[in-house]
Amino acid sequence: MLSRVADNLYWMSRFVERAESITRMVEVTKDTYLESGREINDDEFWHSTLNALCAVEIFEADKIVKVDEFLLFSKDWSNSIRNCIFSARENARMVRDQLSDEIWIELNNLYLFFLDDDAQKVFNNRPSHFFLKVIRFSLVFQGLVDATVHHDEGWRFISIGKYLERADQTSRILDTLSLKYGESSRTDLISVLRSCSALSAYRRQFRGELSLRNVASFLLFSQDFPRSIRFAIRRIDSNLHEISGVPRGNFSNEAERLIGSVLAMVNFTDIDTLMASGLHQSIDDLQTKLIDVGQRIFEAYVLLPFENENIGQQRAAQSFVQQQ
Amino acid sequence: MNQSPFDDYQTDVFFDEMFGASKNHVPKDHYQKVFERINRLKDHEIEEKRRQADSSFLEHGITFTVYGDEEGTEKIFPFDLIPRIIPNAEWNQVEQGLSQRILALNLFLNDIYHDGKILSDGVIPEEIIKSSPYFRPDMVGFEVPKDIYVHVCGSDLIRDESGTYFVLEDNARCPSGASYLLENRAIMKKTFPQTFRGMFVRPVEAYPELLLKTLENLSPRKSQKPVCVVLTPGVYNSAYFEHTFLARQMGIEIVEGRDLIAIDGCVYMRTTHGLVQVDVIYRRLDDDFLDPTFFDKDSMLGVPGLMNAYLQGNVALANGIGTGVADDKVTYAYVPEMIKYYLGQDPILSNVQTYLCWREEDRKYVLENLESLVVKPANESGGYGLMVGSASSKKERQECKEKILANPRDFIAQPIISLSRHPTFCEEKIEGRHIDLRPFILYGEDIEIVPGGLTRVALKKNSLVVNSSQGGGSKDTWVLEN
Repeated sequence: MLSRVADNLYWMSRFVERAESITRMVEVTKDTYLESGREINDDEFWHSTLNALCAVEIFEADKIVKVDEFLLFSKDWSNSIRNCIFSARENARMVRDQLSDEIWIELNNLYLFFLDDDAQKVFNNRPSHFFLKVIRFSLVFQGLVDATVHHDEGWRFISIGKYLERADQTSRILDTLSLKYGESSRTDLISVLRSCSALSAYRRQFRGELSLRNVASFLLFSQDFPRSIRFAIRRIDSNLHEISGVPRGNFSNEAERLIGSVLAMVNFTDIDTLMASGLHQSIDDLQTKLIDVGQRIFEAYVLLPFENENIGQQRAAQSFVQQQ
Repeated sequence: MNQSPFDDYQTDVFFDEMFGASKNHVPKDHYQKVFERINRLKDHEIEEKRRQADSSFLEHGITFTVYGDEEGTEKIFPFDLIPRIIPNAEWNQVEQGLSQRILALNLFLNDIYHDGKILSDGVIPEEIIKSSPYFRPDMVGFEVPKDIYVHVCGSDLIRDESGTYFVLEDNARCPSGASYLLENRAIMKKTFPQTFRGMFVRPVEAYPELLLKTLENLSPRKSQKPVCVVLTPGVYNSAYFEHTFLARQMGIEIVEGRDLIAIDGCVYMRTTHGLVQVDVIYRRLDDDFLDPTFFDKDSMLGVPGLMNAYLQGNVALANGIGTGVADDKVTYAYVPEMIKYYLGQDPILSNVQTYLCWREEDRKYVLENLESLVVKPANESGGYGLMVGSASSKKERQECKEKILANPRDFIAQPIISLSRHPTFCEEKIEGRHIDLRPFILYGEDIEIVPGGLTRVALKKNSLVVNSSQGGGSKDTWVLEN
């Protein structure tokens, strides 16, 4: 397939996944705030969310004063839900011919919803309705991708985009715990699980009292839970090998080599070793590697081998900014 | 008594497509069923059907981009629910006329890029052709595949007060609108299914297949299935929707300049598994933007080296290079002569009478009669730069006069023709609005024209300009089986 098309599909998918994830975070954080007690003020409460999304400074510069509204509607922060949807649609518009009508219509409808004031109105009047709409959209989108397009190379790029973004987002959500002032409370742990839509799945695996160790272990290492980091990395690894045709366990480009090493790490590290070397540090390392994987995919499939290395570097800077 | 939406309808002095000249609104036979159906509609149903159609266009992203707007606003091309209907016999005549015309235009292009017989025989003055901005001296002597230059032509047809069809202009470069023709049909089938079924309308859905066949016919490589692509200027182009639509319907890649690369006289597209050679490019960019090493050096859209590959015959372009000289409005005036010269036939479709300002006697007449003429630049499209004498101010006429005197070659004038009108839903009621017709003519192994075309309608009252950039809308066009 066209290299640019692969790139567009990949980014379309990332932005949809990102919109869903940030929406969940905002919803859960708003909800948790209701029971956060009197000693915590608004700013402190949202600080760890902003921090995990690397949006502290840009929020301070933004016209919007409320954090939740900023995360949803900011025109200046490239990862606000609004901008994620706009970017997803822009990428989709460039590859209209690759998508089914159903996919386009869902995405375009949500874009139209954000384009006029509908979205803001719905959010003001019935926030739960708003969150449901965005999250449902993402789920329908994923369902349509699975059910209405060829599971060919393009579909694999869509899949890689989704899982790379998901691994990244799950790691950021988990990181809010290590960024909190002081010990994680029960409320914090529940809120993290809910942000990953993982509460009931977690309870099936770990009964009884919640602990940071178990929550981190679940979100990092669960074999079968589709929002765990290990699950996502396995999917990225298998999709990359499907694209190149090279058997798993081998590699034909840097993207495959790197994802293989990350996979080995999540397969063979246990939670206690990881906690001992510091949760935040480990998550940070993981995130850096995931960003690198994205860049290597771009180099392997979008750039031509003889093309100027500068383009690669520019693009690396760009994609880093987009992820931040 | 029930009110009919046609109650206050006036045909005025114009040729009305639906009604005869009498005052009591008797629809012509071929409009009877549609007339009855519309008559039965209640106000709120009309409103609802219009809303449904509009939101369907918006949802599907069937939009064009408005230039000069910071946000790159996408608008829907306004659509009117009352179909334009053409009886089969009438259409057959038009179809023959269009086929004759595209044959003559291609023979003309082949001639002027080779021996120039029509010029040396004095039928068309040589300086007129050589001074056209779209004449490409580089193409002289170049053999295009199958001697076809114009593979896709959109000729605009109008009807005068008596209902006679005329060709208003030919679009021999990158005519657009075919996607709207197809989408309009899809919407109408949903909106008035029974009426549609009962009328036996000739289908148009084959257009993308016919277009692909036309493209594949040009492939320089015969050993394998040709690789065809649609080349678009990109997502911000006003016709971007159409480009993706056609690519999707044909099942071929839509590419931008940056997706292609020319190496050693061949053109390749960049794929995730390396370079793939391209055989035929359906390009939706004008000549000037195709190759910065050959034409406009500042163009960011093109593919460096593309022209080299084209001239070596390793990649085919549709339409060919240099076809713009055939839709120069000065050349247009000579199409009837071309038909006689090359085909030995009388033109089936007439031209609108055209005054060429470079001819002294014509210029004199034009300058003395500006108020009753439409003055057009010879090489603009999209309705830009028109001066409609009857609707102009003294100052505009003066400016126009100065422009003509400064560059007589660049202007032509035509009598103001009262285009036929068609009942159209306006703000509150149905009113007559002026329309034209753009059929799409494909010239590959055979000449193929899907029945009808895009009917464009000037939505502003009394306006004669139907272009989408100037407040025009469109209608579905139903050509009936017998």
